[in-house]
Amino acid sequence: MVAPKLETVHEKSKRYDWGFDYAKPDPKFPSRYIIPPKGKDPFRVMMRGYAAMENEKDNRVYGALDSNVRYRNANLAEPRFMEAMKFAVPAFTDAEYQAVCGAGFLISSVKNQELRQGYAGQMLDEVRHAQLEINLRKYYLKNYHDPAGFDIGQIALGNHPIGTLARASFQPFNTGDPIEVAMCLGVVLETAYTNPLVVALPQVAMVNGDHAMPTTFLSIQSDESRHMANGYATLMACLESTENVPFLQESLERHFWHQHMSMDTLVGVVSEYYAVNRPWAYKDVWEEWVVDDFVGSYMNRLAPYGLKPPERLPDVARFVEDMHHSVAIALAAIWPLNFWRIDPMGPADYEWFENHYPGWTARYGGLWDAYREMSDPSSGRLLMQELPALPPFCQVCHVPCVMPRIDAPETRIFDHEGKRYAVCSEGCDWIFKLNPTIYTGCANWWERFDGMDLADVILALGYVRPDGKTLMGQPHLNADRMWTIDDIRALKYEIKDPLRV
Amino acid sequence: MENKVTILPFDETLDVEPEESILQAVLRQGRYVKYGCKHGGCSTCRAEVVDGDYRLGDSTSFALSDADRNAGVVLLCSTFAESGHLVVDVSETMDDLTEEQYQAGQHIQEFAATVDRIDALTHDIRWLGLRLNEPETMPFVAGQYVEVGVPGMPDQWRSFSMANSPTESDRVDLIVKVLPGGCFSSVLDQRLSLGDQVQLRGPLGQFGVQLSHRPMIMIAGGSGMAPILGILRELVATGNRREVTFFYGARTAGDLFLVEELGQLARQHDWFTFIPALSDAGADGAAWEGETGLITEVLARHLPSTVGREAYLCGPPPMIDAAVEVLESSGCKPRHIHFDRFVPSG
Repeated sequence: MVAPKLETVHEKSKRYDWGFDYAKPDPKFPSRYIIPPKGKDPFRVMMRGYAAMENEKDNRVYGALDSNVRYRNANLAEPRFMEAMKFAVPAFTDAEYQAVCGAGFLISSVKNQELRQGYAGQMLDEVRHAQLEINLRKYYLKNYHDPAGFDIGQIALGNHPIGTLARASFQPFNTGDPIEVAMCLGVVLETAYTNPLVVALPQVAMVNGDHAMPTTFLSIQSDESRHMANGYATLMACLESTENVPFLQESLERHFWHQHMSMDTLVGVVSEYYAVNRPWAYKDVWEEWVVDDFVGSYMNRLAPYGLKPPERLPDVARFVEDMHHSVAIALAAIWPLNFWRIDPMGPADYEWFENHYPGWTARYGGLWDAYREMSDPSSGRLLMQELPALPPFCQVCHVPCVMPRIDAPETRIFDHEGKRYAVCSEGCDWIFKLNPTIYTGCANWWERFDGMDLADVILALGYVRPDGKTLMGQPHLNADRMWTIDDIRALKYEIKDPLRV
Repeated sequence: MENKVTILPFDETLDVEPEESILQAVLRQGRYVKYGCKHGGCSTCRAEVVDGDYRLGDSTSFALSDADRNAGVVLLCSTFAESGHLVVDVSETMDDLTEEQYQAGQHIQEFAATVDRIDALTHDIRWLGLRLNEPETMPFVAGQYVEVGVPGMPDQWRSFSMANSPTESDRVDLIVKVLPGGCFSSVLDQRLSLGDQVQLRGPLGQFGVQLSHRPMIMIAGGSGMAPILGILRELVATGNRREVTFFYGARTAGDLFLVEELGQLARQHDWFTFIPALSDAGADGAAWEGETGLITEVLARHLPSTVGREAYLCGPPPMIDAAVEVLESSGCKPRHIHFDRFVPSG
């Protein structure tokens, strides 16, 4: 049988849609945008061809995982890198899951059959991606010599003080105005940021000896072109009405800043602080993919329709130089609250950082020295105890308010309807004030545990190993000299919410 | 042997440099096809090979299925031409890519225009102002050029960059260097007068500002002032905030022009710095208190590091070659150096 042309199939499928002439339906998810009823199908694949193609890709990934098991690659990879997978893989899975829901959200709210075809395909892709990532985590759990943390990854990430940045970042895939969903997911996250996330990070995995992660993520990346096409098709459809342009611009500004805060932090921290071998400096990857490709090429083609590049781009560039250094040391400082281990930076790392980020040693070297010196339980000290105060977490993006530099943060603290909030930057301040209801519902992390002993907080989070005593988080990668809950209790360290009035 | 690639359905043949992917060749020559990661991962730049030999990079393992490979589907970012002429077709794989998008906004048209300004800016530089008659407007991007038909000489065309902002789309203003004995120069200095008709075709060229946050270095010599002036006027019109440092090189004070206008621009906008420099100051007896030396020396003195900057260069090829070397050795990334070589033709 000759496969019918895509256009024929579309025309046929549209017979199952209808307009309402006897009653005006209330939209399930209202939109402030004007959405044209017709568009161009961005998916361009029919289901039977799609299923065969994805099946082949899945087979290759699972085959590769089998061979990784036989070669014992999980234990040949750099442990420093493997520890990052304990929080990075669940963060990715949060994104996939919210994208599954986001695609469903778009199907039920964007009345345009061609675009819906694209969203339907994307929903299937995102389910596949979530499954691949959960299987990758299972592979790590079964094969890596120190699996503590992989077992509770998804729950642990949701409870972690900085891990909630994934939820903050990906929830907009599935809430609010449907076109904002497409802008956040299809335009900003997938077009600007999947390359750093899903092409750059596998390069880091490869040079650090982990071959399972690149296989999984490159399989995922091979679906992304259709998702970028969904974002582009939705954006182009909305650009047909000039009334939409100011809304689209505002949406772009909001999501570009927010995704920058979380994704540049995530990729920057993992690729530089959880790598022994570094294929590049993250700021260079960002310059190429986010500035030259997304802004210089993609946004440039949209300029004739009245859409301008994000106005905070100079600030984003300024933050990318420093913010991952600040967050990396902040994560190290709060290590007992992590569900993974952090290897101290050594002389080779100091040299690399100084060469790629001149001034690094003066700014961060002392903090890493202190972290290393306190890595043995006999030291009886924690870097977080030495800080003048715990940094609050940003109410918008959830990164610690040490941005862009831990020694020169641009934190803003303010009261809103009788409650005190902190945001990390002018950009997040602007986003908060755009629609405070989105952000006021979430309690600040420190507030939840205010007045509690650190040991009890760790137990409440469940970040202890099966012996019930040894912490999951450790400030080193050694097999012995691990910190226990008793070591922490002996410190008598009480959590104090820095925002308590 | 030089390789070539023909892109269907647009039926255009482009050069392919050694070790250059087909995607790089397409983008380098100012055309556009869909692409995403450029690493063989995302499967956006799919195309079908119709004819010719090629080699595929090894990073395409997931982005191309066995069925794709058997059907000759490739990813242009990971495809390298081997021995001669490759023909690829994107009509099925990028079926919503229009010819306009592929041509990246180049709508080359012929125009009839009327001369409405001829000024001698220096002893050998002229300002030539032309009002468009038919069609009445030319949408262009600051930095582009037009070809001007030499009046009275059929099939003789000369290229000049627009010095006006694209917001003035009903005219083109050109800066012309008069070369002794050159045919356009002779016509311009001896026969052309206000009200005369000339033929134009354009707009052409890919030179123009890339959207980014980076501070910009602009370097020009001679009539290379024109596209930079057009770009500066456009930046002013669109409320620019990016830092711009413009180095303009001339031989003597008598070779400088528009210094007053550019100086005023610098006083009005704190993002703009103008640095004129003379390589042979005093040779014409005129007083000069500004910068001296080759423009590349002045650049190196003012900006010992060009890390994180973008550069836009216009002028004679030796100046561009020297400037590119200075920029690269002081840290500017090669992909952030854009230039337009002005080859003299009378």
